[in-house]
Amino acid sequence: MSGLHAPGREPAQTAPERVERPHRVEAAAASRVGLRKRRSWPHILGTAAILVWTLPAFLYLVLLSVKPERIMVERSALIFWPTFDRFRDVVVSDLGLPIWNSLLTSTVGALFAVGLASLAAVTFSFLNFKGKALLFLLMLLPRMFPPVTTLIPIQLAMKTLGLIDTRAALIILFTGFQIPLAIWIMRTYLDEIPRELAESAAIDGASLPSIVARIVLPLAGPGLLAAFILAFIFNWNEFLFPLIVTSFHAKTGSVAIMNFAGGYKKLQWGSLAVLGVVMTMPVILFVLAFRAALIRGFTTGALKG
Amino acid sequence: MTWVTLGRGRLFFVLLMLPAVVYVVAWRLAPALYTIWLSLTQYNIVYDAAPHLNRLENYRRILHDGSLSEALRLSVIFAVIATAVELAVGLGAAAFFDSDPPGRNLLLGIFLLPMIMAPVVVGTVWSALFDRTVGPIPYLFDVLHGPDVQWLGTPVTAMSGLIISDAWEWAPLAALLLFSAMQTIPREQHEAARADGASSWQLFSRIVLPQITGMLVVAGGLRLMDAFLELDKVIVMTGGGPGTSTQLVSMYIYKQAFQAYELGYASTVITVLLVLLAVVYAFYLRHYGRMLRLART
Repeated sequence: MSGLHAPGREPAQTAPERVERPHRVEAAAASRVGLRKRRSWPHILGTAAILVWTLPAFLYLVLLSVKPERIMVERSALIFWPTFDRFRDVVVSDLGLPIWNSLLTSTVGALFAVGLASLAAVTFSFLNFKGKALLFLLMLLPRMFPPVTTLIPIQLAMKTLGLIDTRAALIILFTGFQIPLAIWIMRTYLDEIPRELAESAAIDGASLPSIVARIVLPLAGPGLLAAFILAFIFNWNEFLFPLIVTSFHAKTGSVAIMNFAGGYKKLQWGSLAVLGVVMTMPVILFVLAFRAALIRGFTTGALKG
Repeated sequence: MTWVTLGRGRLFFVLLMLPAVVYVVAWRLAPALYTIWLSLTQYNIVYDAAPHLNRLENYRRILHDGSLSEALRLSVIFAVIATAVELAVGLGAAAFFDSDPPGRNLLLGIFLLPMIMAPVVVGTVWSALFDRTVGPIPYLFDVLHGPDVQWLGTPVTAMSGLIISDAWEWAPLAALLLFSAMQTIPREQHEAARADGASSWQLFSRIVLPQITGMLVVAGGLRLMDAFLELDKVIVMTGGGPGTSTQLVSMYIYKQAFQAYELGYASTVITVLLVLLAVVYAFYLRHYGRMLRLART
């Protein structure tokens, strides 16, 4: 277990701080002796390659989303007066219901997951007990097996509980999906809190709430944020389970896209593109706002076990 | 020593942990076990009121299931090619980010976008790009007088389309992992090599590459296992078609379970895959643990 997560986590955590400084110095030194010029061409080419790889594909979807219906199939028309009617439809009409469902269930699911996981992480971090490593492994185990393994029983369970096509079903599932990752993230943050700090506060007679408020929360706060954002994004992107437990009232954005895009025959490209763009907006916002935390969380999450 | 840290007893801490543990057991672990039990039963929700045991009949059926072996073959092809492309692109991108270009973090954020956006949207993006009525790729072929291809409607190109979309989505993950491995290499080694007159290629192939082989194996293994079970983009882009030419194994399971309602048999296929994956995983853990230790020294 420890052998598994330690190698992936360490570099990601320490790398950005560690390299930034020596490298600035080096770059400054290089420019002083005139070496900088030699390195800039590869940088320009590399930057161009990265942008060309990533952006055109997505920007084409953005283009489709504002392309007027009557010139939709004129593929040479790249410059036109954009229409935002379909985006307005997302706000005022039926098209918006799945987005609202996604937003609500992803947020509530992420909040529940981070809440429950943080409590558990406190125990995993502060308490030593027999079988702790085993229990922790058990908590992370679901991350290792693929989602199809639980698809069938979950649909049956939701049918039995009469929760098919309800938001409650999604919230229940989303909470469960994100608890393992959230426990892990919270534990890595809590483990970094100096024990002496909490102990001496306890010895000085501080109550538990005040220890939490004054010591634990300020130090673990960034962890809470990172766990919440990642949990939200994973819920927001979830597709298979919403597909099998919702049909109409509670369907999420990704299921709505699927309804427009089943198989390889697509018809309503405009609406499809709008939903795709709307589904990507929060993700872009989070990436821009929390790059460092996300990159760290993803390297942690990516290594699964 | 630690349990008195916050001035509370053990029971308090156990109670803190209980809700999350019960939740994970009830909604994540128990369903997986139930799947294994279902794999031993005949359960078609149209005909059977309840699952009933059928003496390993499903397991015998697996051995003679031609569609399943075809699906497995397609999954292997898909996973191997997609992973190879992702590692190649990821390695290039990681080397570029490791050279500390201006605006590196912003650029890295942009590069990571495809893997953070919803897989369904990735599928939609590539469906649009390949589409004959609105897509730029067939349009380019048209303008350049190339062949008129039904990209997602022809077996070989549909598979290629899926692989391209998967590479676009996940090469950033390979890049991120390899980049973080490269960042652990002390800068002095770069400087020393430079001082000895090493070219950029020599620096990369003799100094950097040998030290990231461990992470290369890790990233490759992760992607292989995930790509092997790819489902979201298959549903959105091709639905497994044309015919069954892109029916990867997860799509096969999905169709068995939710279109043919053969819950028992679908569970059996899942169980067998799970066991296979567990074996690969165990094997991989041992070796990759050693690779990493090697990579460090």
